[in-house]
Amino acid sequence: MTRIFLYLLLPLLLLLCSCDLQKDIEVELPPYAPQLVVECYLEPGQPFRLTVLESSSYFETPQPVVVDDAQVYITYNGKRTEVPYKPTYNESSGRLYTHVSDEVMNGKPGDVYDLEVRDEKGRKVTGTTTILPKVPIDTIEWKFNEKDKAYLLTSFQDNPNSADYYRYFVHQDSLKTDPDQNFTSSDNLSNNKRISYGSGFDYEQGDVVIVTLFHIEKQYYDFLNSTADARNANGNPFAQPAQIESSVQGGIGIFTNLAFDRKVVVIK
Amino acid sequence: MRFPLFLLPLLLVLLCVIPGFAQTYAVNGIISSTDNGEPLAGATVSVPALQAGSLTNEKGAYTLQLPAGTHTLQVSYLGYQPISRSIRVSNSGTTINLALQPVSSQLQEVEVETNTLRQKLNDTRMSVEKLSSREAKLLPALFGEIDLIKTLQLKPGVQSGGEGSSGLYVRGGGPDQNLVLLDGAVIYNPSHLFGFFSVFNPDAVKSVELYKGGFPAQFGGRLSSVLDVDMNEGNNESIHTSGGLGLISSRLTVEGPVIKDKATFTISGRRTYVDVFTRQINKWSEGKEDYNPIPDYYFYDLNGKFTYKLGANDQLYLSGYYGRDFFNFDNNGFKFGFNWGNTMAALRWRHKYNPRLYANTTLSATSYQYTIKNEFDVFSLDLTSAIRDYSLKTDYDLFVDGGHSIRFGAMATYHGFTVGKLNTYNGDSLTIGAGSNYKAAEFGVYAADDYQVNARLSLNYGLRLSGFGNSGKVYMGLEPRASAKYNLSETVSLKGSFASMMQYIHLVSNSGASLPTDIWYPSTRYVKPQRSQQVALGVSKLFGNGRFLLTNEVYYKWMHRQIDFRNGANLFLNDSLESEFLFGKGRSYGNEVYLEKTKGKTTGWIGYTLSWTERKFDMEDNTEDINGGNWFPARYDRRHDLNVVVLHKLSKRLSLTGVFVFSTGDAYSMPVARFAFQDVEGEDAAVVPIYLRRNGFRQVSYHRLDLGAVLKLRPKHGEADLTFSVYNAYNRRNPYFVYIEQRKDEGDGRILGFQAKQVSLFPVVPSVTYNFKF
Repeated sequence: MTRIFLYLLLPLLLLLCSCDLQKDIEVELPPYAPQLVVECYLEPGQPFRLTVLESSSYFETPQPVVVDDAQVYITYNGKRTEVPYKPTYNESSGRLYTHVSDEVMNGKPGDVYDLEVRDEKGRKVTGTTTILPKVPIDTIEWKFNEKDKAYLLTSFQDNPNSADYYRYFVHQDSLKTDPDQNFTSSDNLSNNKRISYGSGFDYEQGDVVIVTLFHIEKQYYDFLNSTADARNANGNPFAQPAQIESSVQGGIGIFTNLAFDRKVVVIK
Repeated sequence: MRFPLFLLPLLLVLLCVIPGFAQTYAVNGIISSTDNGEPLAGATVSVPALQAGSLTNEKGAYTLQLPAGTHTLQVSYLGYQPISRSIRVSNSGTTINLALQPVSSQLQEVEVETNTLRQKLNDTRMSVEKLSSREAKLLPALFGEIDLIKTLQLKPGVQSGGEGSSGLYVRGGGPDQNLVLLDGAVIYNPSHLFGFFSVFNPDAVKSVELYKGGFPAQFGGRLSSVLDVDMNEGNNESIHTSGGLGLISSRLTVEGPVIKDKATFTISGRRTYVDVFTRQINKWSEGKEDYNPIPDYYFYDLNGKFTYKLGANDQLYLSGYYGRDFFNFDNNGFKFGFNWGNTMAALRWRHKYNPRLYANTTLSATSYQYTIKNEFDVFSLDLTSAIRDYSLKTDYDLFVDGGHSIRFGAMATYHGFTVGKLNTYNGDSLTIGAGSNYKAAEFGVYAADDYQVNARLSLNYGLRLSGFGNSGKVYMGLEPRASAKYNLSETVSLKGSFASMMQYIHLVSNSGASLPTDIWYPSTRYVKPQRSQQVALGVSKLFGNGRFLLTNEVYYKWMHRQIDFRNGANLFLNDSLESEFLFGKGRSYGNEVYLEKTKGKTTGWIGYTLSWTERKFDMEDNTEDINGGNWFPARYDRRHDLNVVVLHKLSKRLSLTGVFVFSTGDAYSMPVARFAFQDVEGEDAAVVPIYLRRNGFRQVSYHRLDLGAVLKLRPKHGEADLTFSVYNAYNRRNPYFVYIEQRKDEGDGRILGFQAKQVSLFPVVPSVTYNFKF
């Protein structure tokens, strides 16, 4: 919301010779001890796969530091599976993984999985996730305006018996590109209602649109929002600094599962 | 324990009462203006030979305790010619009413003897800053927009919220801890354009008084300051029109008698017109590829006041304010409208029972609200938050023999809160309705005695009992107040004060700026009222043949149940808002040095403040802490703050002014580390900043020089002048905020590194305003 006020500033700034109002400065940062950063999304039918990196002091070399000595274990129902270090690039999603198992995950809604990551420096990260059921997309509609541009409207039914959290993606053509729309929401104000997500007049005839509705855990919702808040706080004079709300203990990151419904439509 | 150390000198002063002074008699009366007959609040009435003096209250009434005999009474008031009168005192109940003549032009005003420094020296009150609209109009201003609040920021102990901001941060308190009163009624959001301009039109305002500490018992409801704004009353003699044409706004005031010597009116309005230009730019650029229209923004405000003399002992005052900001945006089928503002109406009845007893009863209604409307095709959304108050208060002034001036009274307020009322529609059908409504009642009763013990010592002590009820939960608080003045010699006085304050309503804002979406929230079962205690000690020295007054005040303020918000708090659309609150404590302490000169061709002041302001939110009261539960500096914790204000009358037609400001840079938070976040899909990993300490970094020092000139013109009718201002004359790039930029390879988009950048807001800004009066 506070971004609106940045736009409010615009007319005022136009009146000024606003050139040269930014300059580089030197800021001395306090010493920082790097922490383990874990990103792990369990997906039924896929192997256990995750990325283990390290956080770093802001002005250090920009490339992420891979922790190749990290040992990873995922436990389900008393069975502990080691996920070996095996850097892998996934063509379809454009994602990199540092650890990938041979075993495929076959969790059902309600199943509980535990994660443990440790390295030779003695750092240890743990986390837990409970597999969620999918929430099906009911309809995807679109409507053209007089300039032959269409907006998109995706609807689904919220579950009445639980506090639910959602993440919504709209990609064009391929999942490899960044999504056109990417947001999270809760059913805080819309429990047990039919929920619709709209867009601007962004689409034309013939566009291939991939719509994904994730049913997500609260811990994932909190993590996503806190990372978004932290990113927005850098550069917004009205924002407060946000702490990252990790779902894991002992480090930074997210351990959750992906329960999603995906539909591909061609705008006609 | 610092507290006893602070109190020790105060106690010593209080105990130093020297008994055995001669019998004194009460002299009282009303000081008014010859111009329109309106009473002058804060005028100084004194007998310099006896070092006895008093200030008039807001109804122009004063009382002095004088021994029998003939004395020379002096009366002075900012912007008026001081007068002296010989009076004879032989018994109590002597009434001396006097009228002062205003100084007609702004230029002559430079040499007017403001509140004679001697009287300020002898005033029991401390930590009070008074400013007239006439005084503020002489000083240079950003975009030429005269702003009394920004002028008050040049006084010691008062900080601005940041570059160009009209927020007041008084002795470590936040802008939500200021009680802002316009003709006795509360104004909840005293700013336009998210804090760049205050809502007070300088043409509609007569004067403002800011209490930083030593609060009189009649005020309550906020922790850190009282800003008492008095609106002008209409001219009683003839109809006058005045106004100004400025760079971004224009204003017009009409005032005069309705019935001669019985009823007057004044009405003022102003409006910005940047939107006229931005609409034109949008029109020219219509149809251009990738052109995003500039949103429409403007504000206006209207002030009106009507006075009616019912008889010799009764007068009615009806005051009103209505102001709105508008922000509209319409692009590609997406309509966004946002408006916000205050509305206020107050009716005051002043009644004189006899020369010793006066009463003022005020009935007022005030509201602040914002509304956001959003439309897209058949979908629409509207969101409203508001606070609405209906208030009744009555204040009595009673002058009693033996040097007592007693004030007592009561107030009751009904608060109605609408918090985040949201409706979304699909066509005509409501899809989501949310929000909360609260109703609450607040009251206060008080009594205070201004006691002139003898020619050297005067005391003001009082007690306020306040209370607040919301949904069956009732809070009560006792708020003792006391101040004392002791004259060590003819030119040196010592002062001390103590004030305990309660605040029952809270501003929900984590932006650190005055945003229109900041909303007020009542105390509830879970959200307890805020509390503060403040002690202050001061010494004043008059020197240079009475031309200079040097004052030093030291203060310490404890603040309890301060409010901040959980990490990632959703303050915007949340039906259980209070679960986002965190409670903590605050402390502020410092020393203020103030040197002022009010006589001669060159006048002005130098104020220097050394201060600390910190907050602490630990696990004692919360399930989550801030900054690891350790003390952290407030954003506006500025160790050094220096203001130099100089006004120089060069000739009868030309006066020059200069303002220099220096302060320690703001405390701010900056990420110290980062991590890469790939997310579930997409090739580009995002860089996520990691923040550790709250406000752990310091911006570079802020300094700025503003220059101004007022050139009096010679129109055929009436008066006119041109006011020139140069804001930030040496074009200093002062820090507004700092962020870290990601540097990428233009070819492959690889991240090459990171660089801290400082953003400034205003370069040198010259402006000119044409003012007229006829």
